[in-house]
Amino acid sequence: MAVVSLASALTREELEARLYEAEETLRAIREGEIDAVVIKGGTTEQVFTLEGDGQSYRTFMEAMDIGAAAFDAEGQLLYANQALCTLLDRQADAFSGQALLGMLDAVNQTTFRRLLAQALKERQSDEIHVRVGDAERSFLLTGAPIDFGIVSGVAITFTDISAREQTAAARESERLARSILASANEAVIVCDRSGRVTHINAAAERICAEAPIGKPFEEAIELTFADASELMSGGDIVAMAAGGTPVQGLEAAVKTSAVDVTDVMISAAPLIVSGDRTQGCVVTLINLSQRKAAERRQALLMGELDHRVKNTLAMVLAISARTASHERTIEDFQKSFSGRIQALAATHTLLSNASWENLQIKDVLRVELAPYATPSSGRITMEGLDVSIDSKTAVSLGLVFHELTTNAVKYGALSTRSGRLSVRRMGLLSDGALQIEWEERDGPLVTPPTTSGFGQTLISRSLGSGPNGGTKLEYRPSGVVCQIVIPKYGHFVT
Amino acid sequence: MSQATNEPVKLVLYVAGETPKSLAAIRNLEKICSEHLAGKYKVEVVDLKKQPQLAREHGIVAIPTLVKELPVPIRKIIGDLSDTQKVLVHLSVEE
Repeated sequence: MAVVSLASALTREELEARLYEAEETLRAIREGEIDAVVIKGGTTEQVFTLEGDGQSYRTFMEAMDIGAAAFDAEGQLLYANQALCTLLDRQADAFSGQALLGMLDAVNQTTFRRLLAQALKERQSDEIHVRVGDAERSFLLTGAPIDFGIVSGVAITFTDISAREQTAAARESERLARSILASANEAVIVCDRSGRVTHINAAAERICAEAPIGKPFEEAIELTFADASELMSGGDIVAMAAGGTPVQGLEAAVKTSAVDVTDVMISAAPLIVSGDRTQGCVVTLINLSQRKAAERRQALLMGELDHRVKNTLAMVLAISARTASHERTIEDFQKSFSGRIQALAATHTLLSNASWENLQIKDVLRVELAPYATPSSGRITMEGLDVSIDSKTAVSLGLVFHELTTNAVKYGALSTRSGRLSVRRMGLLSDGALQIEWEERDGPLVTPPTTSGFGQTLISRSLGSGPNGGTKLEYRPSGVVCQIVIPKYGHFVT
Repeated sequence: MSQATNEPVKLVLYVAGETPKSLAAIRNLEKICSEHLAGKYKVEVVDLKKQPQLAREHGIVAIPTLVKELPVPIRKIIGDLSDTQKVLVHLSVEE
């Protein structure tokens, strides 16, 4: 053979070297360490690879749209298709050896190595996350065993699922945002950059116009600003916030079908979804109606109190002056004056106990009669006096009853044990005024006084005169009778 | 056989494109050179797929094959160079 024919021309050392080379070649072939051979065909050499259909897997992978790569049993990259290079933004020659692993962090490297090891035996899938440029990308990897002629390895496909994951994350985020919005106690309205309503929660729906979504803010909710009604509108606030300037704590009146919402505190903040650009604004409205109603009531009460104090002082001055002009001695003055002031005070106590409301005629009368007799004693009868009166009427009526009682105690029915007094409701007059009658009986014989004291004046003037109200005092011999007419608006028929 | 002190090791690796064993041989040789021959070697990689006629110079039959050209004598190591010790013995630089 050729070796024998050459033997004579070669040294022993060269022969040994050639033998060693031949043996090494056979060993390498047997042990699968080579996968190509050079065949001499005439004057030229040709290289044949032992990959079997090896070339065809590359052709096949290259034709695929999704990223694909082949690895040997040690996990070394043999081949990456163009789609994968594009996905990972790398040149094909940048993927030699373990460069792909170098792109992964520790956690994803572990996932990738595990997939490579498992896919040598059977089909496996897993997800990895890779930073490509500035973006975090997610890939679904599917690995399966593959034979490259004499060697076996793994083929892995890379499917980009970043968009799918982002969509799922966005959907989850949207769901979360919606539930936050829905759970808020305050009314929340979200507007886009042009000031149109895009989202609204249940609390806001109650105070907005019908179908507010898509409407400009000022049409969706009707607000007026007490401090600057001409200068500002809801639309201005939304425009400011959407422009990047937050607005906080403005008070506004709101026109709405919800009866329990009349005043709100409005705040608006720019809505920044990503980056620095505002996407619109978020408007929150806090219901101030109860607080505002309490404030208004407080102001009303303060005004009322002021008015009443002034009236009372004027009345005290008048009583003092008129009492002084009718009494002869200091002692008489003192007695009459303090009696009258005490009557005034008693009515005020009643009024304040009843919060200046819901006072009845019988309450005023009882207080005046209390020092002298009780209705249960049988001397005094009351009928139909369960009628509510306003505070002004209560004060006047208190003075009238005081004068009548003082007179009765001094000279009339209450000055003797046998005397009787009846106070009763006579009925409504045609103009709606209420008439009650004070009638004394079985007391001493009555003669009209020769001079008219202030008591008499007070009685006749306290409730006004004429058809709308007033009193008529009669000194009958059997006892004093007084017709008291309370104007329509001074009493409330129960 | 002893190696002249300052003479670099000149190596020629014959591969056939990107067959798995060619790629493995390149990888293994890079590792051996960097770990054991730091700065003292010169490697030429010849792709016989592209230039099959270059097989003639060293009478290459099986691929991959590494040829140590210098220092003489010329030595061939056939296979994917996965046995590092064997490669080092043949390059006469075993430690």
